[in-house]
Amino acid sequence: MKKFLAMVLAVVMMLSLVACGGGDKASGEKVKLDIIISQYGNYTQEWWKQFEADFEEANKDIDLNIDIVSWNDIYATVNTRISTGEQPDILNISGFADYVADDLLMPADEYVSEKVKNNFVPSFWASNEMDGTVWALPILASCRSLYCNTDILAKAGVEVPTTWDEVMAACKAVKEKCPDVTPWGLDISMDEGQAAFAYYAWNMGGGFVDDKGEWALNSEANIKAAEYMKALVDGGYCNSDPYNDTKYNLYPQFNNGTLAMMIGPMNMITDDCTANYVVADMPGENVALGVCDQLMAFKDKNAPDQEARTAAITKFFDAFYDVETYSDYMVYEGFLPATLDASENLAKNAENYKKGGSDATGSSEYFETFCAVLPNCKFYPMQKAEWMDVRNGVVEAEQQVCTGSADAKTVLDALQAKVAG
Amino acid sequence: MKKQSFKKTIEPYLWLLPSIILMVVLILVPIITVFQTSFCEISKAGVNRGFNGVENYKAIFSNKIFWNTLLNTAIWTVVVVVLSTILGFILALVLNQKFHGRKIVRAIVVFPWATALIIQSLIWKYIINADYGALNLLLTKMGIIDSYVNWTASPGMIFAWECWVGIFVSVPFITFCVLSGLQGIDQTLYEAADVDGAGFWHKLFKITLPLVMPSLTVSTVLSIIYVFNSFPIVWTISKGDPADQTHTLVTYLYKLSFTNGRSGEAAAVSVIGFLVLSIFAGGYMIMSLRKEKQEEG
Repeated sequence: MKKFLAMVLAVVMMLSLVACGGGDKASGEKVKLDIIISQYGNYTQEWWKQFEADFEEANKDIDLNIDIVSWNDIYATVNTRISTGEQPDILNISGFADYVADDLLMPADEYVSEKVKNNFVPSFWASNEMDGTVWALPILASCRSLYCNTDILAKAGVEVPTTWDEVMAACKAVKEKCPDVTPWGLDISMDEGQAAFAYYAWNMGGGFVDDKGEWALNSEANIKAAEYMKALVDGGYCNSDPYNDTKYNLYPQFNNGTLAMMIGPMNMITDDCTANYVVADMPGENVALGVCDQLMAFKDKNAPDQEARTAAITKFFDAFYDVETYSDYMVYEGFLPATLDASENLAKNAENYKKGGSDATGSSEYFETFCAVLPNCKFYPMQKAEWMDVRNGVVEAEQQVCTGSADAKTVLDALQAKVAG
Repeated sequence: MKKQSFKKTIEPYLWLLPSIILMVVLILVPIITVFQTSFCEISKAGVNRGFNGVENYKAIFSNKIFWNTLLNTAIWTVVVVVLSTILGFILALVLNQKFHGRKIVRAIVVFPWATALIIQSLIWKYIINADYGALNLLLTKMGIIDSYVNWTASPGMIFAWECWVGIFVSVPFITFCVLSGLQGIDQTLYEAADVDGAGFWHKLFKITLPLVMPSLTVSTVLSIIYVFNSFPIVWTISKGDPADQTHTLVTYLYKLSFTNGRSGEAAAVSVIGFLVLSIFAGGYMIMSLRKEKQEEG
């Protein structure tokens, strides 16, 4: 009898395990929203935990379930969830064209309130438009500039470079005069090698697309840009492993004074930075890369009450883009706001908000400077359906050129043919 | 009486049922799904757009990176398994001797095996980094090199380092498998050989090797499967870069699926890897069954 009971228990346990897999979007009367947020820093989780508590307190009928996922895992996580029909209600990621292609997203106009919509910096709102419809909302932005360690450049006897020839000359001088210092930081890893392509190609007169918006990956300027990167590698002017060193590996080197120059975002300088530095214009054409990630809402055909779900999504965005909440998040993560009122607020009152994980506050001067630059930045052509292929393709091309396994013209011609046909 | 007999017949199956359900859910269903996916068009966002025949296989076979990856996988598996088996065998012979502190040395040998592979790989990645790694610093302080050497200058060098890390983490497993075999050898065999005037090499090839062969066979077959499927070392150190030249099949299919958004092709690579491994696993099963028959006979 005991054996029989044990067997029954074992079977029941198995069945209960299987039952654990099931779930329902609606928990009681509440509307449940599954949200995936990208991890921008070490303290992202804490901020969103507080936001979730505050939001649920103010909206008793909505239950938020916020997952913070690292950039390394987010595409794998989201794809897996989509393939199993468990896509989130709201997602924060970079890029939306692939989701639009599969008809997974709700048009932004269906859920964003007029107040929030009219508050976005117009160029950011428009940057998420595809075939006349806006599919995502800009969550934050960052702007890339040239950072130079002034002490090292002075020791090497060179000025802050303004052209690419001057950059190469400065690298040579630093290598000769300061052998313990890496002259130039280069990241052509899968993490953000496409940013390197943008820095060099745009500032040598090329880019991803031509004036008509068509792919132009094998232009003369782009070939020159790829060859320039190879010259940096071959000359021994950059970090030893640019294929795997991400920008996160380069930040500490710049901050502790062992890297002379690099192109990076405005939040790369840490509180314990010991380097004396200047932020300079990009060499060459002076085109800065702007990076703008998005928030988007997915369709859910199985939602028990579509109207209530859409209303809950609207409330979520109203709460997040509230000037106080949003300004707080921007200072917390060290990014630039995509809304007009937060830009204005932070240009005056950034000192009222704290940075994540420290008691340091924001700097109004910093926000005033960078928010003014941001509308003139150039962005990736993310609204084009082939963007992900191009993104991966240019990184692969850079790596092939820099390792010497192929020449720039051949790989860029091949990429252009693959993407544009 | 009949009821009692029925209960007795069904009872073992009921006890096995939870394991069978687990195996079906966790092993069989994913395998079937991967086979199915390899014949489907999967969008970049992960949506299944339906059957597309052998298009994924065609795309894979026409890609030069796949063939390079297949070659890398063969080199990776052979180099890591062969060298770690030789080193593990030698280490086991040493650890089988009696000396002071043997237990401590045995414990130290386990460390690389007991530490998470990702942590080990990350540590080695930092050790070999030319800009801030410990290796250059150490060699400079010892006066072996004058200026820093770029240990990751080419895909070949990166891959060689990955193989080294693979060997480093595999040696303990082989060592302890062989050691268990060595400890089972009757010492009187060596005493008899000594009386007959046999030397070290004679005893090694005529007594030790034949008697540890069963342990060595098991450890080698398991190592092949384990090393072939190893993901963390290559992914942590190079992610298969530069230009996809240091991939093994497992890292390649991961990148195809989760970075490039080509899950259908990734499933096709997975099926190919599964078939290759099945050959090894089949060989192992045949050997085991033969051994069982010999023992029974």
